[in-house]
Amino acid sequence: MSLNSREDLANRRSRAVKTAWLLGLIAAGIFVAFVLSGVLGH
Amino acid sequence: MSIETTHSHDESHDDHHDHAPSGFLDRWLFTTNHKDIGTLYLVFSLLMFFIGGSMAMIIRAELFMPGLQLVEPDFFNQMTTMHALIMVFGAVMPAWVGFANWMIPMMIGAPDMALPRMNNWSFWILPFAFTMLLSTLFMDSGGPAAGWTLYPPLSLQGGQSFAFVVFAVHMMGISSIMGSINVIATILNMRAPGMTLLKMPLFVWTWLITAFLLIAVMPVLAGAVTMLLTDHFFGTSFFNAAGGGDPVMFQHIFWFFGHPEVYIMILPAFGVVSEIIPTFARKPLFGYTAMVYATASIAFLSFIVWAHHMFTVGMPLTGELFFMYATMLIAVPTGVKVFNWVSTMWRGSMTFETPMLFAIGFVVLFTIGGLSGLMLAIAAVDLQYHDTYFVVAHFHYVLVPGAVFALMAGTYYWLPKWTGHMYSEKWGKIHFWVSTISVNILFFPQHYLGLAGMPRRIPDYSTQFADFNMISSIGGFIFGASQLIFVGVIVHCVYKSRKAATAQVWEGARGLEWTLSSPPPYHSFNTPPPINASTVAHADEAH
Repeated sequence: MSLNSREDLANRRSRAVKTAWLLGLIAAGIFVAFVLSGVLGH
Repeated sequence: MSIETTHSHDESHDDHHDHAPSGFLDRWLFTTNHKDIGTLYLVFSLLMFFIGGSMAMIIRAELFMPGLQLVEPDFFNQMTTMHALIMVFGAVMPAWVGFANWMIPMMIGAPDMALPRMNNWSFWILPFAFTMLLSTLFMDSGGPAAGWTLYPPLSLQGGQSFAFVVFAVHMMGISSIMGSINVIATILNMRAPGMTLLKMPLFVWTWLITAFLLIAVMPVLAGAVTMLLTDHFFGTSFFNAAGGGDPVMFQHIFWFFGHPEVYIMILPAFGVVSEIIPTFARKPLFGYTAMVYATASIAFLSFIVWAHHMFTVGMPLTGELFFMYATMLIAVPTGVKVFNWVSTMWRGSMTFETPMLFAIGFVVLFTIGGLSGLMLAIAAVDLQYHDTYFVVAHFHYVLVPGAVFALMAGTYYWLPKWTGHMYSEKWGKIHFWVSTISVNILFFPQHYLGLAGMPRRIPDYSTQFADFNMISSIGGFIFGASQLIFVGVIVHCVYKSRKAATAQVWEGARGLEWTLSSPPPYHSFNTPPPINASTVAHADEAH
């Protein structure tokens, strides 16, 4: 698989989806942590 | 020395895809094309810019003379609140996402954003969010009137429409987070082979860092407004002192979001200016690597300065000192940037086309905003400045001849690339000079008003403030009207201009986007382009 091939592009798109899920989970985690800190600290 | 479009042999079989869908809905509602979505963001933000600007005109008309002139005080408060919410979340932020959509894939040699369908969704959430936000103005209880900071207890005293405001903020946040995820996933995974991180254009770097800021702080805002919602409608007392809650805690949480938010609006501006100045100075950017590290430093520091917005709440002296010194530290990487822009221009073969004029205007006027920020950082004197027009003058210098000028600079810079036509240089320059003169007439007198003690967010004021307010309002009306020139230049460029743009457009332009035709093909870089000295924008030679 050469660096410029379509397979390489598909591979990179697949990695991008994993990156997106990771970042989305981080964002959701921050939201939940803040709300929970408010609830538990109350 | 224009550079022709880069095509490789295995791209030819894609030619039948190289056109936009013919139907209006297919083209704009269901689009997954980064260029189309970028256009949607930019048109939307321009619309919001005028809606938010109209509210600013109402504010300045009311403040033209002392006494209540045109609107009820509660409506005035709704205008200040909505003006800010719309300008921050509806105009400046979506405009930068529009630039990111258009430019990042072309600058890093990617065929599109990494997640095109999510990209579509990110945009199309926004019109619903802002329709919902604006609809509150027509509800019985009116729009939000507690300022864009939504401080309790005042914000909790609003009516039923507050739920719409909170939901709108949630939707804006979701849109921003999805847009940021897309930017990060694209930059980290979709760069053309050979486009290492330290070869990326500065605009891409600043957006990468901005996207991390967004993901870190937008959920914090979402959490804060969710707690406001439950305080208002479900009987909780997170921020309600009567129920054992702490209103000051909201201020801490809000500004933990709010201060990075300022940098979310200004870091991409730094990126655009860092692209434009080398082009028109015909020199490589001075200190590319230092610029990258300075951007990262500013982003880091933006997380540890939030309480400088609330020096007057009565925090411990050690807290005030920490936040004061941390805030002043930001002047160091910002100073590095200003120094590098000036050094890039030093002994350059400069010409002063409209993008360069706006970029230089940005450097000078943003620095004024930065310096008044340093004054506000001094905790002892902030007790005098807090909640006065000095603060209004400060952040408007940062955001209008700062962020908005950079948006205009970027628009003039890339408009020929986007449309394939040259805009009218004469009218572009008229737009620059009228805007620059009027924006200073508008905001500079507000420094004096603030130092003399005029509080912000009031519809009436003591007669001693009358003259400067009248001058400020006249500047505001001229500035508002001059933006019609901007629209005229864009419309003329898109529909009427007969002067075709070359691929390179500007003699000194370097970088991958300038290797594509003007306008670029609907699908560009289906095969990654070669990365070499002629296609890298301005990395240090060591990299």
